[in-house]
Amino acid sequence: MPLVIKDEYPEKLFREDGKRLDGRDKTELRPIKMEVGVINNADGSAYLEWGNNKVFAAVYGPREVHPHHLAKPDRGILRVFYRMTTFSVFERKRPAPGRREKEISMVIGDCLEPVLFLELYPGTSFEVFIEVIDADGGTRCASTTVAALALADAGIPMKSLVTSLAVGKIDGELVIDLSGIEDKAGEADLPCAITWYNDELSLLQFDGDMTLEEMNTSMDSAVEALKEIYEKQLTALKSKYIAIQEETLKQQESKTDGGEE
Amino acid sequence: MKMMNIKRVISSIERKYIADNLKKEERLDGRGLWDYRKYNINANTIESAEGSADVTLGDTRIITGLKYEVGTPFPDLPDEGVCTVMAELLPLASPLFERGPPNEQSIELARVVDRGIRHADCVQTKKLCIKEKEAVYILFVDMYVINHGGNLIDCGGVSALTTLITSHLPEGKLNDDNNLEWTGKYLNGKDIVNELPFVLTYGKIDDIIFLDPNLSEELVSDGRISISVTEEKITSIQKSGAATFSVDEVKMLANKSMEIGKQLRKDFDLWQYLVEK
Repeated sequence: MPLVIKDEYPEKLFREDGKRLDGRDKTELRPIKMEVGVINNADGSAYLEWGNNKVFAAVYGPREVHPHHLAKPDRGILRVFYRMTTFSVFERKRPAPGRREKEISMVIGDCLEPVLFLELYPGTSFEVFIEVIDADGGTRCASTTVAALALADAGIPMKSLVTSLAVGKIDGELVIDLSGIEDKAGEADLPCAITWYNDELSLLQFDGDMTLEEMNTSMDSAVEALKEIYEKQLTALKSKYIAIQEETLKQQESKTDGGEE
Repeated sequence: MKMMNIKRVISSIERKYIADNLKKEERLDGRGLWDYRKYNINANTIESAEGSADVTLGDTRIITGLKYEVGTPFPDLPDEGVCTVMAELLPLASPLFERGPPNEQSIELARVVDRGIRHADCVQTKKLCIKEKEAVYILFVDMYVINHGGNLIDCGGVSALTTLITSHLPEGKLNDDNNLEWTGKYLNGKDIVNELPFVLTYGKIDDIIFLDPNLSEELVSDGRISISVTEEKITSIQKSGAATFSVDEVKMLANKSMEIGKQLRKDFDLWQYLVEK
């Protein structure tokens, strides 16, 4: 179907002053905002804005497995459903989930499973629903990061959080946190995720071309940036309880004030 | 462990409790029979969409976005564009929602919102024509339920309407070779939207009728009726569920809808969300 404006890529991905098109340095992250407990009906939930990416994640579980034959007698199962809204991308996405969404769901599921104690929940399922409502490159990493937060918000025992980020190569230069344009027009894209309980990679994909040396450097800069995002995850988790604490303190204060009168 | 179906949790005791309170014209959340929960509108929140809105009504939250395609018009309406409405009840939004293709409930939501808009002279389909018989805009207004707290229809209606008002469609024209070209300008809400229809939903338990059922009221009510109104006219009605309504009740509700609709139109002042581009 034709569109009035066509999706075109710029020839250069760096500006005259050496910065990237959105004004960032090579090792600079886009602004990241996270919040937990945003969906009341869910057992746990989180919302993430990462540059122009906007992602919701909700966790339900442990609950009955549906359909029943998927249940495992000795352990729980984790099911992840990564979906994008029709309006999250340049050209309207068809409403039914496509091959890409199914593959990414699986990759994220495999990434998150190691941090859970599924053997403690035989016969049940944990379902993680991820909805990308606005997309601009790196949605699988954003989704993994926000899904880990939602699991933690649900109070599900975890060995650690999981944090994810894509690094890559554009116009021959190594950069971190590729934007949508950089992802499409760049030379290499390397999404990865770390499970912090053992500091190992739990999600790893790579498309493009890099020399061995470039790969080594990319990995190292990814780990540095991942630590920065991890701190933000922890702050987001804590801030929910800090808010509750402040609220309770305020109530107690107003009660004691009332008593004195 | 939580069961799949939270409908079971709404017991006959809770039903009686809600109904008894309604008879005293009291509701569990402190509202009167004809009060809405608090509406909150955030407009134009999605960068990738050509219009969008994030609307909450109490606990209910619906995010809507607009996308477009250029296609050929229907043969019987050669100079009119098309506007379609879709709704997704995300399993993320409630344990009541299941995965899979659209079910009755999501189709009803989309249809009721669509009919309220379609019969109201809201979307100016003639303005969506690029060239007669050749090229028109096809608009997709897609609603996603993010949290289900009852009364999706009214929240969806405001969400869809706000989305249309925030629209910014690149203006196209066909050049001499019949190829599509961008004029460099945009069509916005002022070009596309005329009337502002609102849909108002009432629940019924026994012989008590009340506006804007919340989730527990919705789960225990016998049925509901949704009425779409513009400034001057009633444009669409949908009765659903097993409840029946007397003719007098329907007349009374139509009258109430016009009244409350006027107030909403004034309070929301949706034209403030126009996007100039």
